[in-house]
Parts: sequence; structure tokens; C-alpha cells
Amino acid sequence: MIRVLSSNIVSPLGDTLEQNYQALLAGHSALAPYENWHGAPERFVASMFREEQTEKLAVDGFTRFESLAIRSVAEALSHTDIDVSSPRTLFILSTTKANVEELGPVPDRDRAYLAPGDTARKIARHFGMTSEPVVVCNACISGVTAQLLAARLMESEYYDHAIVCGIDCQSLFEVAVFLSFKSLSPEECRPFDIERRGLNLGEAASTIIYGRCAGTEDGQWKLVRGCLDNDSYHLSAPSPDGDGTVRAISSALQAWDRDRLALVSVHGTATMFNDQMESRAIERAGLSSVPLSALKGYYGHTFGAAGVLETAVVMRALDDGYILPVRGFDEIGVSGRISIDNRRRETSGRSFLKIISGFGGCNGALLFSKEADIPGQRAADTVKPSVMHSVHLTDSSLNIDGREIPVAERGKPLLTVIYRNMLEDCPRFYKMDVFNRLVYVASQLLVKEESPEDRDDYRAVVLFNGASTVVADRKHIATVSGGEGFFPSPSVALFTLPNIVTGEIAISNGYKGETSLYILDRRNSPLMEQIVEATFAGSEARSMMTGWVDCTSEDTFEADIRILTI
Amino acid sequence: MEDLILTLKKQIIEALNLEEIGPEDIDNDAPLFGAGLGLDSIDALEIIVILDKYYGIKLANASEGRKIFKSINTIADYIEKHRTK
Repeated sequence: MIRVLSSNIVSPLGDTLEQNYQALLAGHSALAPYENWHGAPERFVASMFREEQTEKLAVDGFTRFESLAIRSVAEALSHTDIDVSSPRTLFILSTTKANVEELGPVPDRDRAYLAPGDTARKIARHFGMTSEPVVVCNACISGVTAQLLAARLMESEYYDHAIVCGIDCQSLFEVAVFLSFKSLSPEECRPFDIERRGLNLGEAASTIIYGRCAGTEDGQWKLVRGCLDNDSYHLSAPSPDGDGTVRAISSALQAWDRDRLALVSVHGTATMFNDQMESRAIERAGLSSVPLSALKGYYGHTFGAAGVLETAVVMRALDDGYILPVRGFDEIGVSGRISIDNRRRETSGRSFLKIISGFGGCNGALLFSKEADIPGQRAADTVKPSVMHSVHLTDSSLNIDGREIPVAERGKPLLTVIYRNMLEDCPRFYKMDVFNRLVYVASQLLVKEESPEDRDDYRAVVLFNGASTVVADRKHIATVSGGEGFFPSPSVALFTLPNIVTGEIAISNGYKGETSLYILDRRNSPLMEQIVEATFAGSEARSMMTGWVDCTSEDTFEADIRILTI
Repeated sequence: MEDLILTLKKQIIEALNLEEIGPEDIDNDAPLFGAGLGLDSIDALEIIVILDKYYGIKLANASEGRKIFKSINTIADYIEKHRTK
């Protein structure tokens, strides 16, 4: 088990957890309307740093994103005495788009852009860390994935401490993505309300530092256990009945008595679909009478930060015995039965559940408690998984289970040729960008090698990547800053979310296991093996599709993936 | 109208990346979503972008487009009546 040693939040509401918490107690929010913002034609509401705040937080030689992460990590570290330079101290950066505001439509218009893995390494080296950092890029559930990854890697005894930093900045890039999805509210968001009209974007960095513990510690916040899974329903909409969320909750709670929960910290984005789905899932999981904590009405949706920030806030509020008011909520507008209030409530509960869902169909649930004497998880013995099948596909070669298959084409056309000649029809194939085509073709070639009795509906999909979605990212930037005006394409925008590739595999094959995407600064086999083995040891997965998938241009790509079992 | 329908089909094919399909493969009256071309909710948002970008028509969300997006003919009719460019 792991316990919280220190937490921080840097947001427009303050630079420490305490400043943030006091602002929330006073009912403050930094949500503000933006009109004609950098050429965006539609009004939106967001919680963003003011210019003077950004200037105050800036660190010499670092971008805005990096500076914010450094401020948050430094403040959290100042309350602990852990040895950051130890190779057994892990740095996990939870972010959806990292330094993307520095990226140009073409390479020679890049500013201080670094890929997410290089960004994480730069931040880690600033603090003198010596271990290799991991970037968790799992859309909205990144912050929950990152904390669970920390728990698994520490329970498997690869590390003694983990610094988990969740962070995202907002720029024209993200605004255009969510305007193209029509999911931004023109007013302050109203979670679970009958008049909710969509989400607000938010900027924040939040860091939680974890250490290993026995589970006996009274009064200290511990991550008891958690679960990730996939709806296998749709890339950009949750399963209406919240199937994946219900399964994640029941797996995280197990026999934990519902009455011991002070609250459920929900995602509560204030979009029509998310809030309705969450209400259904909460009712189906038997949690209708457990009070909800929903914080998007204070902070907006802070993407990679959300899962970390909301965890930190809830712990602080519960230390005072409070459930914070659901700001923005007035009249119930969901069909699932939930316990929600826009006034502050009191509780003596010492445990809570954090739930979250995101693009790509992924869901997560974490159980936290500060009760004493919590029985530890089963011993996390890591075992070496066996390779069932493997596919190595590059821009000019194909190898299946060690057999070299001659190919005539190169680059993107090669993917189309393999799809036509070797795979079954999939109407979505032609809509995919090159990175998604690559991962789709490689994964379906793998599945084709498998005999029907080896099929596993709860298979995990855990992929590693280096370049994020740089090809789609540049294309997306061109649709908002090119000469043709502001017309972001929703299908291009969808492919700027790196974990969409894992969601496509889940949907194409009906996999309901966890789907995660991790970004590293380079292909690092020992670190990838650690994560795969810790994932097997710390989850119910018995088989996994995993490997390296990277695409740096339409003509340069590689997928080296396999099916593993234990 | 004939010209508009052909242009519209080309714009949809390009925006939705329907590589293997030509304008002649799309029946003017066939349903675009579900059966037919098998388009989905993201494609509906993409057609909203086409209406905005090329014809100056602004739709707030996909549900507003539900009736309009039935077939190529219904979209073309709507464009004829509401275009501002």
C-alpha cells in the first residue's frame, strides 16, 4: 500500500494546497468568460492563469508548462525529506498535451517544443532525479492512472517513493479541440444540473508525493486499491449505463462497506453525457446515498491534473470533516439517483472513492482511506509473462511471430495495402490518421494469429510511445492558425488524444480490460517491462496487448507489439 | 443544384477521409448515418464544420443537424435555403 506524504496545487486560486482549500471554502472560482480569444470565434469560459500569475510562476529557461510543473513539484517536495536523487524515487507526469502550446504547424515554426517524455526528463533533471520518468497520457483519467501506476510500481518494490504531478495548460490548441467537439459551455459549468451546457477548461498543476506503507497508519491518507477498465463502446462517448465505471467501482471497493465512504469524488464535467452516465453508474453501484464531491465548478476541467487535484482537495476537506458544495449545481438534471448538494456538508467519514472517465472509453476508480489497520493487498509477486504472438511493423517491413513478410510499399500506403490484403473490412479504417492506422493494422494482425479459445474479453491494452500524436497535432494547429480561418476538424482533433489508439483496439475487439498509454523519452525496455509486470501483479488482467508504437511522420513509424499472458 | 450536390459530396469525402469512395458511389437519397455510409457522431460534427466553412451556416450542435443530415439531398436543400456564402 502507499500513503500520501505531501500534496500541492498550483492553480489560478493559489500556489499551495492550503491557499486553494481556503479559496474553495470561501466559494471562490477563477472561471471567467473569454471572447474572441486568439481568434476563437465562440465565447467560452475557463479557469486560466492571469498574465501576472504566469510571470510570477515563470522559471528561467523553462516553458510555461514546465515552470508550472516545477513550482508544484518544488512546493510539494518542501514538505518532505525524501531523497529525490535516489534511483528508487520515481517521477510520473500526468498530462494530456504537455508542451503542445510550443508546437507549430510545421517543425520550423516550433517554439520551445519538446515531446512529453523529453519534457518530463527536463523537469526531473532540474530536481536532480536520476530515475527515468514516465508520462501518463490517458486522456481525462490520466491523474487516476498515474496514482495507480505509482501504487503498482511501489507495491512491486521497484521504487520507494513516487512524485506524481498532474498538469495541463490551456492554449488555442485545446480550446479548438473542444470547440470542434461542441462540448464547451458558454457560461460557468453546472455539474449534474438540468441546465448544464458543457464543460469549462481549466489550468492547474497538482502534485502528490507517495511513500510505501504497511496499511496500519491511523489518520494518514492511503491509496488502498484501484481499477481501470474500458467501456469498449465509443471513442468519444461513454457507455450510457456506465458499464465500465460500475465495474471499476466494484473492483476498487470489493467488500468495502458503502457506509464507510464519506463521499464519491466524481468526474462531473457538466457535459450531457458524462454526468448522466456517472449518475447511472453511481446508482447501479449502490452508492446513491453517498454524497458527491464535484469540483469542476471551481476549477473547470484541468485534464491531466484533474485526477490528482481532485484527490488532493478531497483529502484536505475531509481532514476538516467537510464535503465541499457542488458549485454550479442547482436543480437535478440526471436520471440516476445521487446525493448532491450546493451547500457545504459535514461528515465523519474517513474514506472516499475517486471515479473518472475519459475519451477512448477508459474509466478508473480509486479507493482512499485514512482508517487504521487496512489489510494490505495480496503480495505483489511479479512474474515474467509469456509471449503468445508478436507483430513488428515499420514503415518498410513486417514481421509476424518471427516470420518476415515481404512488402512492396513504404510509408502510409503500406498500411493501406496490408489492411486491404490481410485484414477484414473496418469502415473506420479510412477515417483514421496514420498513427491510428499503424496501431490498428498491427493490433489486428496480432489478433488474427490468435486461436478463438485464447481470446480474452478482459485483456489489458498497455502501449508505450515517444512522439505522442505529433503528426495529428501539427495538422490540428494548421486548421486553426493557417490561412483559411478558424475551422478545427473534429476528426483531426480526436486523433490529437494519444490514448485513442488504445480505445480503438478495445472497441474493435470488444476488450473491457484496462487501456493505458504511457509516453517515454525513448524506447526503454527495462522500464516498459517494470510497468507491464507491475500492471499484471496489481490488476486482474491475465493477458495483455503491449509494446512500442511510435509515429513521427506520415512515412516514419514503428509498432512492435505482442500479446502476453501470465 | 446538381453542381452543389457534386461539390458537397466532394467536400464530405475529403473531410471524412472516405478514400475509397467517389461522388458517384453516394446515393443522393440514401441515409448517411447508421446504415448507408455508416457515419457517426464525430462525422456529424465534421459536416457542421463543412456547412460553416464553405456555406457560412452555423449550427450549434449535432442534434440540430439530425433532420438536416438525413441524406445528401436534405443537406443540399438546407444549404440552398440558408447559405450566406
